[in-house]
Amino acid sequence: ETKWDMPTPYGDSNFHTQNIMTFAEDVAAKTNGSLSIQVHSAGSLFKHPEIKNAVRKGLAPIGELLISRLSNEDPVFGVDSVPFLANSYDSSFKLYQASKPIMEEKLEAQGLKLLYTVPWPPQGIYTKKDVNSIDDLKGLKFRAYNTSTERLAQLAGAVPTQVEVADLPTAFSTGRVEAMITSPSTGADSKAWDYLDHYYDAQAWLPKNMVIVNADAFNALSAEEQAAVMEAAAAAETRGWEASKVETDAKTKVLVDNGITVAVPSEALQNGLKEIGDVMTAEWAESAGEDGAAIVKAFMD
Amino acid sequence: MDLSLVAFFLGLGMLAALATGIWVGVALFGVALVAMMTLVSAPTGPVLATTVWGAANSWDLTALPMFIWMGEILFRSRLSEDMFAGLSPWMRNLPGRLLHVNILGCGIFAAVSGSSAATTATIGKMSLPELKRRGYDEAMAIGTLAGSGTLGLLIPPSIILIVYGAATEQSISRLFMAGVLPGAMLCVLFMGYVVLWSMLNRSRMPEAEAPVPFFERVKATRRLVPVIGLIAGVIGSIYAGLAAPTEAAAIGVLLALILSFFSGTLTRQNFTDALLGATRTSCMIAFILAGAAFLTVAMGYTGIPRELAGWIGSLGLSPLQLLAALTVFFVVLGCFLDGISVVVLTTSVILPMVEQAGLDLIWFGIYLVLVVEMSQITPPVGFNLFVLQGMTGHNIFRVARMALPFFLLMVLAVALIVAFPQIALWLPENMLSN
Amino acid sequence: MRTALDVLYRLAQALAATCLVAIAGLVVLQVLFRIVDGARKAFGLDPVGLLVPSLAEICGFLLVGASFLALAATLRRGDHIRVSLMLQHMPAGLARIFEVWCLLVAVSLAAYFTWYSGGQAYDSYKYNEVSIGIIPIPLVWPQIVMTLGLVVFTIALLDDLVTALSGRKPSYELAVKGEAWEGGE
Ligand code: NA
Ligand code: NA
Repeated sequence: ETKWDMPTPYGDSNFHTQNIMTFAEDVAAKTNGSLSIQVHSAGSLFKHPEIKNAVRKGLAPIGELLISRLSNEDPVFGVDSVPFLANSYDSSFKLYQASKPIMEEKLEAQGLKLLYTVPWPPQGIYTKKDVNSIDDLKGLKFRAYNTSTERLAQLAGAVPTQVEVADLPTAFSTGRVEAMITSPSTGADSKAWDYLDHYYDAQAWLPKNMVIVNADAFNALSAEEQAAVMEAAAAAETRGWEASKVETDAKTKVLVDNGITVAVPSEALQNGLKEIGDVMTAEWAESAGEDGAAIVKAFMD
Repeated sequence: MDLSLVAFFLGLGMLAALATGIWVGVALFGVALVAMMTLVSAPTGPVLATTVWGAANSWDLTALPMFIWMGEILFRSRLSEDMFAGLSPWMRNLPGRLLHVNILGCGIFAAVSGSSAATTATIGKMSLPELKRRGYDEAMAIGTLAGSGTLGLLIPPSIILIVYGAATEQSISRLFMAGVLPGAMLCVLFMGYVVLWSMLNRSRMPEAEAPVPFFERVKATRRLVPVIGLIAGVIGSIYAGLAAPTEAAAIGVLLALILSFFSGTLTRQNFTDALLGATRTSCMIAFILAGAAFLTVAMGYTGIPRELAGWIGSLGLSPLQLLAALTVFFVVLGCFLDGISVVVLTTSVILPMVEQAGLDLIWFGIYLVLVVEMSQITPPVGFNLFVLQGMTGHNIFRVARMALPFFLLMVLAVALIVAFPQIALWLPENMLSN
Repeated sequence: MRTALDVLYRLAQALAATCLVAIAGLVVLQVLFRIVDGARKAFGLDPVGLLVPSLAEICGFLLVGASFLALAATLRRGDHIRVSLMLQHMPAGLARIFEVWCLLVAVSLAAYFTWYSGGQAYDSYKYNEVSIGIIPIPLVWPQIVMTLGLVVFTIALLDDLVTALSGRKPSYELAVKGEAWEGGE
């Protein structure tokens, strides 16, 4: 009997965590209990920044993390966070397939095996005041948490501002930040209506979480157990992508129900954002070199 | 072996290690190491390094050394003397007199600081020497400080409410608001106790000072201006949108340096002493926090807290019985783990029970903070005790005895918010209506 | 030898204190930038958008430096918390045995920790681990500082172990204790 500890970053009611719980049950059922997975949610075993290395070093055989956290390590991991490159579930899945071989190769070099990915709902813009064109973003304090969001803010003429997640309510209430880009999930879960008023469903990008496993730990399983894990992973991926779509509608509705003005960006705003997206896609492809070119080519085909 | 038996032996091992004089931080590392090596298959050494790195490398934690440094600067300026001189003529008629400064000082400072160790260290550094000089009872001076230092967690901002809010997806602004009235209630309870105690123990109070004419009193009040300016500056920097709560601590250091400069106490010697003192005190706390983080992860691997919490869930208790059982459970666990670890390790198992019992999750967050506050003053692992041992030289068990009445008052506070949940819920329900 | 060791402890402590000063400095700078932007806005000018990039991450790393480099000095000043109640109430000979026991436990743990902390730094170097914020900072740097702090701590514990074994009082016993209410215990 093998027991795997699985650190995950998000809380129990998060749809990613719930999908993982089902995955764990699935694995136990498919292996008749010879492999059990104990999920440690909400960073209770390892916190988000430590999860990848914990799995790589075999401190935990399996874990979940946001892929784009690794984009400073290698731009390839940032492909799902290039604004307006893939902005629907279908194109996002296509981009995932285009980038998957290279991503798997990069992970394999670290002794990691990719099991499956699940996207977050499309990222939209949250603000305290009306935004009808790119000009309205000008001068707004815009949350930036990595190079890509910083660049986005700069290109929009906004003021990149660093705010930690836990500090968001205070930062919005006291005016240290005036706009951010994130999913309807994060907005609803953090009760964004307590501190801002507008949500623009800009569908900027669909960042993904991935579940990775330590290759040595995986290879130590019997052939049947390995097959069971892969089957459960495939099922979790399908289930997760569907759950994400359901989540988008449900959480957008939560935003509406709680008095946030939810709108599709005006054409002027949409066009402005598209221009920024083109610049950033070109910049990303350049930074990612040959890998980037290959991914873009596979995606465009 | 049965996990509860394992837990018992680990607790015993910790007590034995501490009794033989092993440093608290080392004992925490040691017990965790033994647990990892005997019970867990994951490689102990790398887990140790990864965990401590993750815990020590923390932005939120940077506020702690900043506030401690601020306290050290103020301790070497005339500010604390001024503050007591300004307050004393006004408080001479209130039974307990300047003992209330500890409680109110912590209550106000808690509005800036999110941690109880920082609150205790900063206020204590200023008030303890003054109270001692003025002949106040030692046990009361230290006890009030240990107790009211925990307000740092309940009155917003609060690190633990942020952790709880993130783990349970509750609104942090609502949780913060929910903490305000229970925090005020706890202040009132503490002050009420001080009033009662001082009326019953007149002989242990210092001689009353001669009455001061009203005009003199107003004149003395001017000496409060610097400290009020400092507090207003730090709180103001948050609410004016100039600084995040974590950043406000560094503003506190800057303002303290400015005040110290203008009062002529900012000598090279004072600056160095304050800085090195703060460096060592923060190092002491960080070392114990690192040990606590490693023990937390070791416990996460062994599954002991999860198992125990699950056992409570299997008892099929009524909501009131459940709360009583959880309180005992948290207090016992809080003796050996720090408060935030207890929350992190058990929310997954406890939350479903709490939801099933129909308890409001915002309310439960406040209940949890109150219970976790208690763990700050229960030996052997209680961070307010460590801060106060560092400051007074009394060992943690003696400090804990001085803090015992305040521990019991917190139990009373828990009973009160269970009986009257609106104490926590009224503000968030009425301030945020949409 | 004695002088060299004392210089080492003092140097490590000075570096730790410098880390704290750097944290305060960077945060104050960030707040000043906000004030400048606020003032510009008030005068109808465009905000400059100055920021201290990766402030939170850099401060976290500096805190690691402050915490670990000060370990040895904190030990020698007797500022690490312990319950010495029993030690003070037992015969001197027995107390000395317990003192050696405490130091033995501490030094083995510190050495173990140092080894794996070094391993972690090497691993971060090998895999080119970087921070995730606006500036990618190689994690090996702060992790080396953490390891160095542990090295100095281990040396300080060994130093005191040798002292205790030779029958003298360890450094932290001789340190001038903080101002206690009635002389402490
Ligand atoms: Na607070
Ligand atoms: Na405790």
